[in-house]
Amino acid sequence: MPDHDLPGRSRPVGFGNRFLLYLELVRMEFVNNLAYRSSYFTGIFNYTIQIGAYFFLWDAIYSGRRAIGGLNKEEMITYVIVAWVARSFYFSNLDRRVAVEIRDGKIALELIRPYSYQMVKYARASGEAFFRILFFAVPAGTAIYFIRPFGLPPDWQAGLLFLLAVTGGFVINSQISMIAGFCAFFTQSTSGIFRAKRVIMDLFSGLLLPISFYPGWARDIIKLFPFQTVSYMPNLIYLGKITGGAVLHVILLQLFWVAFLGLVSVLFWRFAVKHVVIQGG
Amino acid sequence: MALIEARGLTKEFRIFRRREGVMGAFRDLFQRDYTTLRAVDGIDFVVAEGEMVGYIGANGAGKSTTIKMLTGILVPTAGSVNVNGFIPYKEREKYTRGIGVVFGQRSQLWWDIAVIESFKLLRRIYNVSQEEFKARLKKFDDILEFGSFLHLPVRKLSLGQRMRCDLTAALLHNPAILFLDEPTIGLDVLGKAKIREFLKEINSESKTTVILTTHDLGDIEALCPRVAIIDKGKMLYDGSVDNLYAQWGHDKMEDIVKKIYEGCKPEQYCMIENWGDTHA
Amino acid sequence: MSKQSGFRQDAANHIIIFFHYMAQYIKTKMAYRADFFIYVFSDLLQQSVNLVFILVIFTKVPAIKGWTRDQILFIYGFFLIPFGLYSGFLNHLFDVPEKYVLEGELDRVLLRPLNAWFQVVVETMNPELLIGTLTGIVIMVYSGNAMGLVPTWWDFPLTLVLVFGATMIYAGVYTFLASLGFWTEGNMGLMPMVYNLSNYGRYPMTIYRGPVRFILTWVLPFAFAGFYPAAILMHRYEYIGYALLTPVIGILSFVFAYRFWVAGIRRYRGTGS
Repeated sequence: MPDHDLPGRSRPVGFGNRFLLYLELVRMEFVNNLAYRSSYFTGIFNYTIQIGAYFFLWDAIYSGRRAIGGLNKEEMITYVIVAWVARSFYFSNLDRRVAVEIRDGKIALELIRPYSYQMVKYARASGEAFFRILFFAVPAGTAIYFIRPFGLPPDWQAGLLFLLAVTGGFVINSQISMIAGFCAFFTQSTSGIFRAKRVIMDLFSGLLLPISFYPGWARDIIKLFPFQTVSYMPNLIYLGKITGGAVLHVILLQLFWVAFLGLVSVLFWRFAVKHVVIQGG
Repeated sequence: MALIEARGLTKEFRIFRRREGVMGAFRDLFQRDYTTLRAVDGIDFVVAEGEMVGYIGANGAGKSTTIKMLTGILVPTAGSVNVNGFIPYKEREKYTRGIGVVFGQRSQLWWDIAVIESFKLLRRIYNVSQEEFKARLKKFDDILEFGSFLHLPVRKLSLGQRMRCDLTAALLHNPAILFLDEPTIGLDVLGKAKIREFLKEINSESKTTVILTTHDLGDIEALCPRVAIIDKGKMLYDGSVDNLYAQWGHDKMEDIVKKIYEGCKPEQYCMIENWGDTHA
Repeated sequence: MSKQSGFRQDAANHIIIFFHYMAQYIKTKMAYRADFFIYVFSDLLQQSVNLVFILVIFTKVPAIKGWTRDQILFIYGFFLIPFGLYSGFLNHLFDVPEKYVLEGELDRVLLRPLNAWFQVVVETMNPELLIGTLTGIVIMVYSGNAMGLVPTWWDFPLTLVLVFGATMIYAGVYTFLASLGFWTEGNMGLMPMVYNLSNYGRYPMTIYRGPVRFILTWVLPFAFAGFYPAAILMHRYEYIGYALLTPVIGILSFVFAYRFWVAGIRRYRGTGS
């Protein structure tokens, strides 16, 4: 019998096995989410109400006007709906979960396990995202389409590129959440930080207002941050306002931010782990 | 009149059973599967003033449910209950002034504030006069020795320290009855000894009636002349500890209780049973 | 002793205890001062989202369905006053289904000789969020000034009555939702939904279609927590009938919800279901 098959002794983990572990976590999180029966119905309503609020508002704002900030009324309404439906996919509680594990000292346990803490969290977030696509985004989008038809992408390429860009948005949003969660190493209650994060995301990702509405100086500042690649840019791809080479530019920009934020969170993690070891959890 | 008098006390719960797996979760969305559980099944329980009664039973036997009915949290499905001159569930706000309760598994103190602040808040809630409050704190501190951590928030306390504070909190308003649900759970030998000593003192000095549930038979041996044993909601034994030993012969209490949980009867009963079902 | 004076003493007792809880709350918060100020600051930041939204929109358009920037700001300012009171004291009725019912914290509450609803409120309050009320007053004064509004003497007592009514609407709606937790045994996720809907109240009802306006007026009456009272305070008297209904609706919804709460407690303790 080969040595590494002895019971109770774990084998050195290869990349393939590691990947299977993460895949299993994705599946597990998906099933976990299914268990929360109540959120099925209410989650969709919730988003419908949010979208409804902005629908009425934009409808009133556009009354008697053709185009504001480069978008006409129909485009604006499509923008709002797509932005919120996409958010129902990329949103996650990653920040809160990480913070709770840090506060309860569970993070010390995670350090003795043979996997990457961050990858486990991303895997679970992905599982949740799959759940959200199937049970929030698609049904909510469909329901809203029946209530109030909105514009579809100009062609299938735009639709596909939009999905790609939203996936990029998901990764970037998760990374930002992870970094926000790590703040729990340094402050007792993180609710303030999470709220601040939410405000920044709402305003600077383009969820509430297309970035083109802001005055020039504000746009120049927003350009320096990754936020607008989460919502604003994917939405413009959907609307066919960003096409051709410019799409490639968006994807590259996202890749840049993924790499940058990945580096930041790894460094942050290393620093924080030292902090945990010193503090003893 | 007895201080606690419960007759035919019964409590039923309706339990929602989750189905397994993905498909099960889907089905739960539309149709729920309920079962009825009789947690406490027609028990009689009478306690006189100043008694100290141990209430034991396996996990899920119905101990906590009984305590919750006696303390007025839960309303019985059937049966009557009268404690300290009140029907506990009817005049909750008045009734709870006269009792103290400690749940070993869950602190009653405020998590984030210093222990002494919790005590002061409780003083207000129960309208205890400043002199009484000070005198009682002093008296309790003599045995429980919480002086050194009185100014720490509860979340920073060890389990033993927390339990000592919880006990104090439950007794600040000098209740007639003290209910303890597993007060020594998870404590070390010294911690247990300290709590037992304290309970004895309280019982003999203030004539406080004590009802305690526990899994540690050492608590019973050290404290309770009387023991009640419950299993699957039914009262299996209620009487003096001495009598328990006498019935079962000279045995260790642990063995006796084990046998009772397993459904055995004392030898003399078994013999009678062999002759036919003539005894009541 | 008569029942009347017993009740009065009981109420006085609850008020005294309220202040003791408040003192404890401040003490704990002061132990983590930095976190506390971040939290308060982030609340201000959150309010600023709506402000930014309004201000940015009005750089692009002069009016929304006839409502000017200052009028929209004025409504938003009024909206924030009862909203701050709600956030400070009633927001965490949110916790009832999970924390109190499912995890059994309510046992502890029921063991104390105080009203259960009162205990939940004082245990979970975040009075620092009253800062929203302050922000609201500032916005109201600023925008009222900007549109040249001259307040009459009765505007001030009227404001108090309207704020009281609007706060009672929040108390009613959220007490009702919290009480649902006694039946659902867990969080239904209704609260965020209603919370989002309550935000509809901060814009003029004229931007909504008929059914939505109906719901906001007669079903989940958040129109009374923002637009209707604000309209009368900026002397737009076409909504006076609605505005004066505010305290009535508030009291009615709270009384109804509180009865529902009592029924929920009864269910929790296992009497009838």
